[in-house]
Amino acid sequence: MSVPVLTVPGESPASLLAAVRATGLRKTYGKGETAVHALAGVDVSFARGAFTAIMGPSGSGKSTLMHCLAGLDSATAGEVWLGDTELTSLRDDQLTTLRRERIGFVFQSFNLLPVLNAQENILLPMQLAGQRPDRDWMDAVIGRLGLRDRLRHRPYELSGGQQQRVAVARALLPRPDVVFADEPTGNLDSSAGAEVLGLLRSSVRETGQTVVMVTHDPVAAAYADRVVLLADGRLAGEVHQPTTDSIINALRGLGA
Amino acid sequence: MRAVTLASIRAHAARLVASTLAIVIAVGFVVATLVLNQTSKATVLEAAGAEYVDTDVVVTSEGSADLAAQVDAVAAVDGVRAVDPTWETSVQAVVPGRSGAQYLLVDSVAGDPGLRWQQMAAGSLPVRPGEIAVSERVGASVGDVFPVTTYDADGNQATTDVTVTGVVDLGGDPSAGLFGRAFATAAQAQEWSAYPTELRIAGSSGADRSALADSVRTALAGEGVVVRTGPEEAEHAAAALTGDTEWLTAILLVFATVAVFVAGLVIANTFAVLLAQRTRDLALLRCVGATARQVRHSVLAEAALTGLAASVLGVLAGIGLSAAVSAIVASTDSPVPLSGISVPFTAVAAGMAVGTVTTVLAALAPARAATRVAPLAALRPADPAPLRSRGGVVRLVSGLLLFLGGAALMGLGVATSEILLSLPGGLLSFLGTVLLAQRAVPPVVAAAGGLLSRVGGVPGRLASGNATRNPRRTAATATALLIGVTLTTAMVVGASSTRATAQAGLAAAYPVDVVVSAEGEQVPASLPGQLESVDGVVGGTVLTAATLTGPDGSATRAVGVDPAQAQPVLRSTSDLTLPEQGQVVLPAWAADSWDAHAGDTVTLTAPGDRSRLLTVVAGETDYPLLTAVDLQGLAPEAAPDTLWLRLADDADQSATIDEVTDVTGAALSTARVTGLASERAAIDSVLDVLLLVVTGLLGVAVLIALIGVGNTLALSVVERRQESGLLRALGLTRGQLRGLLAWEAVLVAGVAAVLGVLLGGAYGLIGAASVLGELGEIVLSVPWLQVGAIVVVATVAGLLASVLPARRAARTPPVAAIAG
Repeated sequence: MSVPVLTVPGESPASLLAAVRATGLRKTYGKGETAVHALAGVDVSFARGAFTAIMGPSGSGKSTLMHCLAGLDSATAGEVWLGDTELTSLRDDQLTTLRRERIGFVFQSFNLLPVLNAQENILLPMQLAGQRPDRDWMDAVIGRLGLRDRLRHRPYELSGGQQQRVAVARALLPRPDVVFADEPTGNLDSSAGAEVLGLLRSSVRETGQTVVMVTHDPVAAAYADRVVLLADGRLAGEVHQPTTDSIINALRGLGA
Repeated sequence: MRAVTLASIRAHAARLVASTLAIVIAVGFVVATLVLNQTSKATVLEAAGAEYVDTDVVVTSEGSADLAAQVDAVAAVDGVRAVDPTWETSVQAVVPGRSGAQYLLVDSVAGDPGLRWQQMAAGSLPVRPGEIAVSERVGASVGDVFPVTTYDADGNQATTDVTVTGVVDLGGDPSAGLFGRAFATAAQAQEWSAYPTELRIAGSSGADRSALADSVRTALAGEGVVVRTGPEEAEHAAAALTGDTEWLTAILLVFATVAVFVAGLVIANTFAVLLAQRTRDLALLRCVGATARQVRHSVLAEAALTGLAASVLGVLAGIGLSAAVSAIVASTDSPVPLSGISVPFTAVAAGMAVGTVTTVLAALAPARAATRVAPLAALRPADPAPLRSRGGVVRLVSGLLLFLGGAALMGLGVATSEILLSLPGGLLSFLGTVLLAQRAVPPVVAAAGGLLSRVGGVPGRLASGNATRNPRRTAATATALLIGVTLTTAMVVGASSTRATAQAGLAAAYPVDVVVSAEGEQVPASLPGQLESVDGVVGGTVLTAATLTGPDGSATRAVGVDPAQAQPVLRSTSDLTLPEQGQVVLPAWAADSWDAHAGDTVTLTAPGDRSRLLTVVAGETDYPLLTAVDLQGLAPEAAPDTLWLRLADDADQSATIDEVTDVTGAALSTARVTGLASERAAIDSVLDVLLLVVTGLLGVAVLIALIGVGNTLALSVVERRQESGLLRALGLTRGQLRGLLAWEAVLVAGVAAVLGVLLGGAYGLIGAASVLGELGEIVLSVPWLQVGAIVVVATVAGLLASVLPARRAARTPPVAAIAG
């Protein structure tokens, strides 16, 4: 799918294409001697309609990066842009509204509210925003994720894979600017994991959804169009059109 | 395991302290009650003892024995050094600076200085006739001279002047504040017709008191006297005074028991939540090698230590509270004897025992439940299935049996007006309700939640889901509040019905607020108008009177009333029937003498040979009552003789009656004013005070229950950290999250409050019906305003209980909650 490009004088085409980007992003925990620099100055942008993976050894700051990009955590320095909205200057209420309307989440575990059934969980962000879902789109999403006969079930009645699929449906339904996935297959067996990753990729291919995924698993990262490597809180490389092998090689080069 | 237990307590100290606030309050209540009881006994004993401390033996009369005649016999007993009768009488004194005459109880001062017990606040004891010492309440100072009046056996009065030589300090004597006391020489007292109430005996130094008492008893055998040692007499006097406080203590302990019970429920609930959070820790222990029993004992040991610590705090709080109450009471001049505090060991022991045992008992069931989860299952990262309540057929059946059995007893009690049937019935059915609550409350909460989801948007829907996901916890929280609200409502409704019935009864028996009678003279024409314009008087009617002759020839006073005018003035016509024209209401004596009963006709004649045939109507009256028109027809000279006045319901009764008396006295000096409005007002105020006190005491239980609501919420907030984080990530604002928790609290508290007032209202009405049934006509009254206020207060308090936990929840940043 191609995206129309509008060139405005002074703006580079790359920045117009970016669904979300960060400039000079820093995140420091603690002070003085015990300070931990989770992010030590990161410049990165993520293209629209692309499936990007963020990888790195543990402690590289990949989860922190995602949290800052998604407006879940505040940065110590630098800027984050979601499209043309700058996040670091927003108040908590504005960030919250932003999250419910323009960002979708899939977490590694604890994705669903136990008191709600699958359908209610899927509709939750839209209800919080007070919006009605597009019926056809909802049917398509539910159909594609194979959840039609599970809609009335509570999370504890679903398998791990099914729960993650419900989470993906929830993330896709509002057609957000970006879907952030934090180790979405970490708790799943390989076939369930492959299912979820396949669904994420097809949403990118078929509907132009932007997906940014944090993972430590090279097999999962191979589903992406581009892999961004992080080490010690800094960008350490990229892999385009990745395969499992090319990713493993790149990681080895990091000393991971 | 000991290390684990202690480490666990250290780690969770803050949560445990907050959770055991309930125990602290309940134990404080129990301890305060026991300490105040002991203090009042000690104070009274000290006061009573002060009178007998230096007296070795005391002789009192059993009936009519003449103690004065025994003096010589006693003096002759071996070992007796001095014998002194105490002469007692009463006088009326007009003390300078005080209006009106004052009653003084006069006691003689012992002749032997060794037998004198009075402590002087100023001056000295009298030494000759014409001198007295007074207690502080009399309000006289040393050197004052005033007249005292006495009445002898024949009713003749005599007045003498006395000089005050000193003021006596009566210490903690409860009677000190009630009436004045005076002390005079024996000779003076006897001049005032005193009689001996006791003989005080001092033994020679070194004499054994009991031995001396025995000797005296032997010497006076058969004389109808009681011989006690000084300390024994002091205890005897004290016991008489404290009889009432024992009864009061028993009642207070009943309320304390309610508070302890509610606290137990709260603690059980709190521990259930605390342990649910630590399921993984406990399961890990078991994986590592601890047996289920070891883990359970560790949990119970934790509970015991927590209970112990809370009880210590509770005991200290109770003692502090008692000291405060004692200080406040002592500073006012009340007849309740409390000075300082006397802390009996039993109070401390009872407080510690109650607090610790309750905590451990409350933790038993949660401990067992927590260790029943299979170790590996608890370690799996998946969300646990919602805890389904375990049914418990036994609980359901026993609950139903108790409830129905109790209800049947109550029905019987109402039918036979026997409170001794209704009360146990009420207790049984209430126990049944508590057992059934676990089944009954969650569905009601779910239904209310369903309503809420429609109205409250997403937070409402979530709140309703949260409140019902753990039925056992919801039921436990709600039950604690339910108990408090039910009892309070029962008291309020019961008291209201009691008051309404009592007032109705009084109104029927005494339907006129104020009666002004001219006592044979004529009521001045201006008086009715003057009286009706008095502030607080809302209506009046004039009755005429004349002398008529009955059918048997006897003359009788007859009263004429204008029924139309009298109707609004009377409070009730159920007993005092108003006649219509052509009717006469005959008093019982007339009905008997003239053999004329309801429905018969009787002829009354007046001077001038006017006569009238009248139909007799039943009713309560002192004199034959006709309409004023009829009476006028028979006796044209019939003159206004009496006025009936009605007072405003919210008027200051005594002030109004005083003014009516003044106005009447000015217009007609012989007139007499009697008013029953003040009796009614007195009953109202007594019931009000009683109700206030009872509500305050029950308020302790309600407070504990509300702490339980707050606790449960706070702990569930911690439990749901991840969920809250997820919600925040998905787009729930802080305000919405706070609203979510507020709705949860309101839901549970509101349901408990509504169920509580329904249940309590029923109990109150049944109780009132059983007690008042034998008094005649019952008026059942539900004070809707107060009942509504109870619901509102309980719900709002539940809401307030959620504020702190909600703020905590809203403060956690989304990512911290998920990552944790």
